[in-house]
Amino acid sequence: MPTQDNIIDAFLNLDESATRQLVKSMLDAGVNPVKIMEECRKGMLAVGERFERYEFFLSDMIMAAEIFKEVTEQIRPYFSGSASEARGKVVIGTVEGDIHDIGKNIFTALLEVEGFDVIDLGVDVPPSRFVDAIRAHSPNIVGMSCLLSTSIEDMKKTVDAIAEAGLRDKTRIIIGGGRLERNAAEYIKPDAYTDNASQGVKMCIELMRSKENE
Amino acid sequence: MSEDFEELYKQRKDRISRAVQLKEPDRVPLIESYGYFAARYAGITSYEFLYDYDKAQEAVVKTAIDFGYDTGGAMYSLGALPLTLAFIGEYDGLAPSFVNGPIHDILGVRYARFPGRELPIDSPFQFIGEEYMKADEYDQFIDDPKRFIAEKLLPRSLRSLEKPCSAKAMSALYRWGIEYRRSVDASLMLRQKLRDYGFAGFTEGMSYAPLDFIGDFMRDLKNVLLDCYRQPDKVKQAAEAMKGIIIEMARISARSSPPGTIQFIPLHLNEYFSPKQYKEFYWPTLKEVINELIRLGIIPEIFYEGQHNAHLETILELPKGKTISRFEKTDLSKAKRLIGEHSCIVGGPPASLFLTTPAKVDSYVKDLFDEVKQGGGFILSPAVPIPPSSKPENVKALMDAVKKYGVY
Repeated sequence: MPTQDNIIDAFLNLDESATRQLVKSMLDAGVNPVKIMEECRKGMLAVGERFERYEFFLSDMIMAAEIFKEVTEQIRPYFSGSASEARGKVVIGTVEGDIHDIGKNIFTALLEVEGFDVIDLGVDVPPSRFVDAIRAHSPNIVGMSCLLSTSIEDMKKTVDAIAEAGLRDKTRIIIGGGRLERNAAEYIKPDAYTDNASQGVKMCIELMRSKENE
Repeated sequence: MSEDFEELYKQRKDRISRAVQLKEPDRVPLIESYGYFAARYAGITSYEFLYDYDKAQEAVVKTAIDFGYDTGGAMYSLGALPLTLAFIGEYDGLAPSFVNGPIHDILGVRYARFPGRELPIDSPFQFIGEEYMKADEYDQFIDDPKRFIAEKLLPRSLRSLEKPCSAKAMSALYRWGIEYRRSVDASLMLRQKLRDYGFAGFTEGMSYAPLDFIGDFMRDLKNVLLDCYRQPDKVKQAAEAMKGIIIEMARISARSSPPGTIQFIPLHLNEYFSPKQYKEFYWPTLKEVINELIRLGIIPEIFYEGQHNAHLETILELPKGKTISRFEKTDLSKAKRLIGEHSCIVGGPPASLFLTTPAKVDSYVKDLFDEVKQGGGFILSPAVPIPPSSKPENVKALMDAVKKYGVY
């Protein structure tokens, strides 16, 4: 009978077929799907920790996020009851003009692992769609992703559009992307910024805490 | 050309070439990365910048003169290597490896979106990776890579060539040839104008990392990374097959390149790989391409995109003083310590510095030069094009700071 350690190891080995096989045999053996999902989460968390310690690299994160997505789909049909209460709600998207989604997808997987409910708007998302999504979902946090250096301007436009719609104090904004650093953040004025998906998730947890203390 | 400009040209050329040879020039060279800023500064749209050769030339020349960096700039376009590689060996020369506005329209390039077409008039063009080769097609590609590129990749990635041998496809190729001539003439004219104003050139022509070709133009970046886990042997064989064509391209290009020509190699997958994967999947074929270029008398300027800290040591495997290493997010002082006596370093401020203030630009340059200037072999240049909305006073401040702190 496979154990939790196996799944974590399979994740850490980025072994796609072993992970899927372990999940399948646990499902077949009638193990509670919530428990299996929890073990996959721990595996993905362990991968994220290695990434943060610079022991894992982006390609490892991309593979791990892919495996996590696959096992989530594998387990989903077995869920009957409602999932446990989300830690917070995040609306996320790659800003207008930019179609890169690798960073966003890694960040989304890690947020889900930490128990966030994520509404993914996709790529090339115009400011008006961010505004509409904030109105529709009342997220605790809005995440904006980009890779291009030209996206700095589009991120600023999006943050400004949220402010103009009178929603800036209704939500926290985190921006993320491989080309973001302090000067860009000072220009765009989010609540948090990062160029590292794993750190970004920690920042979201922190943003939730600071919100609770208000 | 007036004598003053001729003198200026020689000074700038010598400044750059001494830095490339790992010597101390009179001061640190400053190489432009104006990108769409030139369009915005000259008051034209991105659409005009990519479609109207006359207006684009004027914008580049104006920007070059007003800011006075050591190089002037060039016509702006997107790489389009599949076209070049598909026709290798079929005729004497090399088919063009770029896509500008008119060529985008003629060929119907699916992997690019252009302003005034698929995008608003003032947007930069976008490169869109797509999966033009399926995961189970590696064997076909490995078996005959040129044929795969010509017969599968081109029809899948270019709307006008969807049906090979159709009238539409053939007339597109004919029009492409004519437009290519026009655009090359415009580029040559621009180069001459800039030279007449005393600006030095820098890179001419390009090469590619074999695995990047597969990531950028065939499998898409994410898929090729997943393939490294799912079918590692196929990925390695495909990189080997690709290497053969890229080396062929290098040999043809060398026939018309005087010794010392600098060719640009932009890397994309480098920052995604762990050191182990980098050395297993990516570096071996790239290293062979670089060594071949060096044998052909070309100086490769390798752009180690993003964060390259983890792979810096591999640069020491290349011949000393024969390459230029361009960095983006890599720690430049670390690079200087590790490879500074081995390869000329090009690097500079992040894009967002140009949105701040002249004082910040000044202190950035001062601090950076404290770390990397000593002993020569360093060229300042923003690694990626500066933002279109850069403040002109900051673009100017960069040149001022180089004059202030960059003299040896």
